[in-house]
Amino acid sequence: MNKTLGALCMTAALSITSTTASADVKIGAIFDLTGGLNIYGIQQDNALDLAVASINAAGGVNGENVVVVGYDAQSELSKYTQFAQTAVLRDGIAAMFAGLTSSSREAIRPIFREANIPYFYSSLYEGGACDKQTFVTGSSASQQLSVLMDWAVENYGPRIYIMAPDYNFGTISGHWIHEYAEQLGAEVVGEDYLALSVTDYAPTIQKIQASNPDVVVALPVGAAQTGFLEQFAAAGLKDSIGVVSTNYGSGNQQVVVSPLAGEGLVSAMGYFPSVESDANAEFLAAWEEAYGTDTPVVAGAVDVWNAVHLWAAAANKAGTTDADDVIAALESGLTFEAPNGTVTLEPGSHHLRQDIYIARGDANNGFEIIATFEDSEPTYENEVCNLIDNPDVAEHFTPEG
Amino acid sequence: MELDFLATVLLSSLSSASILLIATLGLAVVYGLMGVINLAHGEFLMVGAYSALTATQIGLPYPLAIPIAVAMTMLIGAIVELLIIRKLYGRLFDTMLATWGLGMVFNQLAVLIFGTVSPGIGMPQWNFQIGDYSLAVYPIAMIFVAAVMLAFVYFLMTHTVYGMKARASIQEPQMAQAIGIDSSRVNTMTFAIGSGLAGFAGAILLPIIPATPSMGLFFAVKGFLTVVVAGPVALTGSAITALGLGGGASVTASFMTSVIGDVFFFLMTAFLLWLYPLGISAKWRRKL
Amino acid sequence: MFEKLHNNAGLIFPLIAAGAALAFSGSLDPYLAFVATSWVIFGLLGLSLDVIWGRGGFLSLAQTAFYGLGGYFGAVVAINFAPSLGLSLLWALPSAFVFGALIAAALGYLIFFSRMGELQSTILSYTFTLLLWSVTQTFKIDIGAAVIGGDNGLSNIPGIILGVGEEAKKLKPNAAFACVVFISAVVYFFTRWLMRSNFGKIVDCIRIDIEKTELLGYDIRKFQVLNFAYSGAVAGLAGALFALWANYLNPSIFSVQEALLVPIYVLVGGLGTLAGPFLGALIIGALSFWLGGGAAGGQTTLILGAVLILLVMFLHNGFLGALDNLWRRFLPDPNDAARDAGAVKIDTDVLDQILTEAAKQAGPAKSLSTDEAFKKFGGVIPVNRVSREFTPGKPYSLIGPNGAGKSSFLKTCVGIYRPEGGTIRLDQDDITRTQIFDRVHKGMGVKNQKPQAFGDNTVFDNLWIAAFARTKDKAAADETATRILTMLGMEGQKAVQASALSHGQQQWLDIGMVLCLAPRVVLLDEPAAGMTNEETRELSLLVRTLAKHTTVVVVEHDMEFVRTLEGHVTVLHQGKLFAEGDIDTLRANDAVLDIYLGRGEHV
Repeated sequence: MNKTLGALCMTAALSITSTTASADVKIGAIFDLTGGLNIYGIQQDNALDLAVASINAAGGVNGENVVVVGYDAQSELSKYTQFAQTAVLRDGIAAMFAGLTSSSREAIRPIFREANIPYFYSSLYEGGACDKQTFVTGSSASQQLSVLMDWAVENYGPRIYIMAPDYNFGTISGHWIHEYAEQLGAEVVGEDYLALSVTDYAPTIQKIQASNPDVVVALPVGAAQTGFLEQFAAAGLKDSIGVVSTNYGSGNQQVVVSPLAGEGLVSAMGYFPSVESDANAEFLAAWEEAYGTDTPVVAGAVDVWNAVHLWAAAANKAGTTDADDVIAALESGLTFEAPNGTVTLEPGSHHLRQDIYIARGDANNGFEIIATFEDSEPTYENEVCNLIDNPDVAEHFTPEG
Repeated sequence: MELDFLATVLLSSLSSASILLIATLGLAVVYGLMGVINLAHGEFLMVGAYSALTATQIGLPYPLAIPIAVAMTMLIGAIVELLIIRKLYGRLFDTMLATWGLGMVFNQLAVLIFGTVSPGIGMPQWNFQIGDYSLAVYPIAMIFVAAVMLAFVYFLMTHTVYGMKARASIQEPQMAQAIGIDSSRVNTMTFAIGSGLAGFAGAILLPIIPATPSMGLFFAVKGFLTVVVAGPVALTGSAITALGLGGGASVTASFMTSVIGDVFFFLMTAFLLWLYPLGISAKWRRKL
Repeated sequence: MFEKLHNNAGLIFPLIAAGAALAFSGSLDPYLAFVATSWVIFGLLGLSLDVIWGRGGFLSLAQTAFYGLGGYFGAVVAINFAPSLGLSLLWALPSAFVFGALIAAALGYLIFFSRMGELQSTILSYTFTLLLWSVTQTFKIDIGAAVIGGDNGLSNIPGIILGVGEEAKKLKPNAAFACVVFISAVVYFFTRWLMRSNFGKIVDCIRIDIEKTELLGYDIRKFQVLNFAYSGAVAGLAGALFALWANYLNPSIFSVQEALLVPIYVLVGGLGTLAGPFLGALIIGALSFWLGGGAAGGQTTLILGAVLILLVMFLHNGFLGALDNLWRRFLPDPNDAARDAGAVKIDTDVLDQILTEAAKQAGPAKSLSTDEAFKKFGGVIPVNRVSREFTPGKPYSLIGPNGAGKSSFLKTCVGIYRPEGGTIRLDQDDITRTQIFDRVHKGMGVKNQKPQAFGDNTVFDNLWIAAFARTKDKAAADETATRILTMLGMEGQKAVQASALSHGQQQWLDIGMVLCLAPRVVLLDEPAAGMTNEETRELSLLVRTLAKHTTVVVVEHDMEFVRTLEGHVTVLHQGKLFAEGDIDTLRANDAVLDIYLGRGEHV
């Protein structure tokens, strides 16, 4: 009896969701529109819609209209797997744009590999993903840290303290900080990897003071980061110790943090809304028209925008949306005039060569760009991952040690 | 180990424990006086934080925003008691599940109303120096706040008509009924007070923990463990447990890592429950 | 016809459902088959909770911990063996089953053997899940070909592979669905069989009245741990299936949200129904799938939360429970017979015969003695160095004013209270530190003040479970239970639920259960409470007959009843032995009168 009832539910679900027309090109999207991660997911999804609209307005892909089949992963990992399979099995998508956390990417990457569908992951992350079907448009930790550490040591001094979340993003970032510090002749004087549940930073702040650094690399995520920055500033340490980050601002933390605590914080990322370029002005105008100006655009949104445009360019170049041809076109050294400068898709590593900006928080919950490192390479990914020579590799490389 | 570092660790661990106690006290009152575990406690804390935040955004000074947060959460608490808790009285686990559902609803409503990014209100930029170490005043001031809160609840329970009725209802339910105490009204009041304490916690901690829809989660989890380990003598028990578990975890985190601090918290909880299967205060003679 | 169908609904309908699912699995849309597979797996996870919560009475929030651990463990085994040998199910499932059982048994040992409170147990199980969640975020290890990478999880888990060898391919969604349905059906029917077996009956009794179950001589903690281990094993199995289905695992499987989703499946479907969790998982799965698909703009959490509140408040028994209640209305009510119950008539000949036979089986009567027994609660000392011996022959009555410590003394003898000092002996056997169930094994039979019968069970089942505790043999238990049932004159109420009986009848049923144990020492706490005069006379007759064969100690308020027992009377006052003798001497004793009336120097 229970299963018959279930069958009814199934049919209901089926009839509601299978109504897309067939002449269009379908692309899939899985982002966290609800739950704790929707701080990023909503913007990623908005950027996708905006990109698709702009592509369709310009004539679509190979003359065909692009249609989005979107899913809300509800900030739950299991939903990613489920919807990825659904998209593959049911929707017949030509490409997939999905994911925020590394675990979400790792959960669905094998699915698209097996189905041979190009998959775009658009978020800054710890780096190292290497898979024929996977393309990464966010910046990797080494890409950001290589320029940031250089800048930080020069501007603050050689004593570095690492404060990062105790999971892959944090520990791998920690590895790169160690490596770059060594190259720069600087010293990591202390490090603290924090549990995700930490809200009280007093112990960390003591440890920082005990090791007397010139600069703290602060990498906690989301609300945890703002909590730390508030407590750090309130302890009166902000003036004597520099704070730099590769993810501060990625979720608009600069809006949450009080101006007093946020002013002067330095962040290195692939995009800030204050980037000055025609492409960015155009992009922001379109964004504001569609979504208003309430929340600043985050880097992840621009990464999605770039991903969709790169895919469309590749499909147009290939003259088809067939996976093998599109992947070949994507591997042809494609470039795109993105809001964050010219980006180039590296054929071997499937990562983006792009500008990295260093920005400083101002007194009005915004960022002021203080340095631009043009055309920064994803060095580590290019080194370990060459999908032209080794197309069968499917790995998530992590630096040793 | 230098003395100034030790003093700093001690002081900030005490502050950690106090923050935990502030966040837990409302839960303890409701559990101690009604035998109800309110799994939406963390969300009440969140409602308090957002109420205070909204009040400051429309121009009220922060100290005035706190009573507004308390009033708001008390009101919601009273409504929740009348509509839900009352119907489930005596069904501990059903109440837990219902309040968990309520927490989910609150959480998602907060996302809808406030989005996931709201500006913080900033922490007062005062600090002081112990040897080589500089500490923010506000978190340390929480030790004082926790003490005042504890004294307030103690006073409420021992020196007010409501408090006497509430204690009578829990200690001698039949007798209380017989002398005409309307226990359901007392319960509404108790739940409202518990919620109000959560709202107060959310508001007073707002400078330390920025308002997000899921801000209450980790506090709530540690709060439940604290209250349950404390056992039937909710007030004193929770104070001691918060001090031991929260302070212990913070000291552990200071000397090792925060992950070990968390593991310490959970393992100590398990160990204490194994030693005291009904909570540490199960055999105490005092009642508050 | 319909009654039969009702009794076997848990067999027939799931059989039809599973059959239908298997039959249609080939023609389902592949994506639907894929998604539906996860619902079945969640149902299996729900079943594991229903076993320990719905049947065992313990709300465990550690099910996702066993699920996740089983999944990880099964996946690691499968990753290492399946690529070269195929047969991923064969590698993953048994290892996950065993691993889940072991972990659950260890946690259960901690919880049950420390006699943790209900709430504390639940919270501890929750703590366990949270601990795993924190620890696994950074837990990195390579086990052979399996790479567990902290929060990045465990990738490259093979799908469901039934073939042998390197070439074997993973099943397509439809076949995988059929396979998971088949496995879940097997687990379900086995669980159903288990829960209806003697083991399941005892587990049910533990849920209904844990103290009484131990007083029947069952080693309750052993059963609790075993049941928990089984539930952990099922959860582990579900975890392995999930791992093979998702091809990926990550610490989020231990998250708070996951942990609390399981009770929802169970509640939606119907607590304790075993089939309910599958229905619940199906409904929730379909609901959140449909909502997540876009229709309601992704307000899944909001709706789930509201659904949970409404369910708890208005549909406490879930869909299957509500359906069952509806169905029962159209069936004859077996409890109707409770109204036709006649008066109990004790036939001393039959009783003598039963007791003589009991003596043959269980050995001669034993004496009970306490030496300086001492028990205190804070500043109150309800048992203050009491030394007394009780021997067979004549019934002993313990009397005294309220708060004299009569019940406390009895509870100390039984082991419900642990004395701080002194010794308690059964014959020469020191039982001061012996577990309650072991004392019952050694021949102690106890009836507490309140009648304790398993309310949900029928009268016969109540007696049977008591008889089975001693005989450990189904046929012998049947026979004993039938004889006691006949002696109590309750044949007509055989199929009535104990909770439908009157207070007096429940007293008799409780006494009947004690008799089923063939005890060598009988302790009765206010057995006459709630009985009519007529019943009290019968009870007196029973106690006197009983005392000829065993040692009998009665705590009683009713002086008339005590007088009719014609036995030794001991007066307790403020936890101490105060006076002894027969009832008439004591009645003439001024000191005894003083304490009863609350006057004079002895108060």
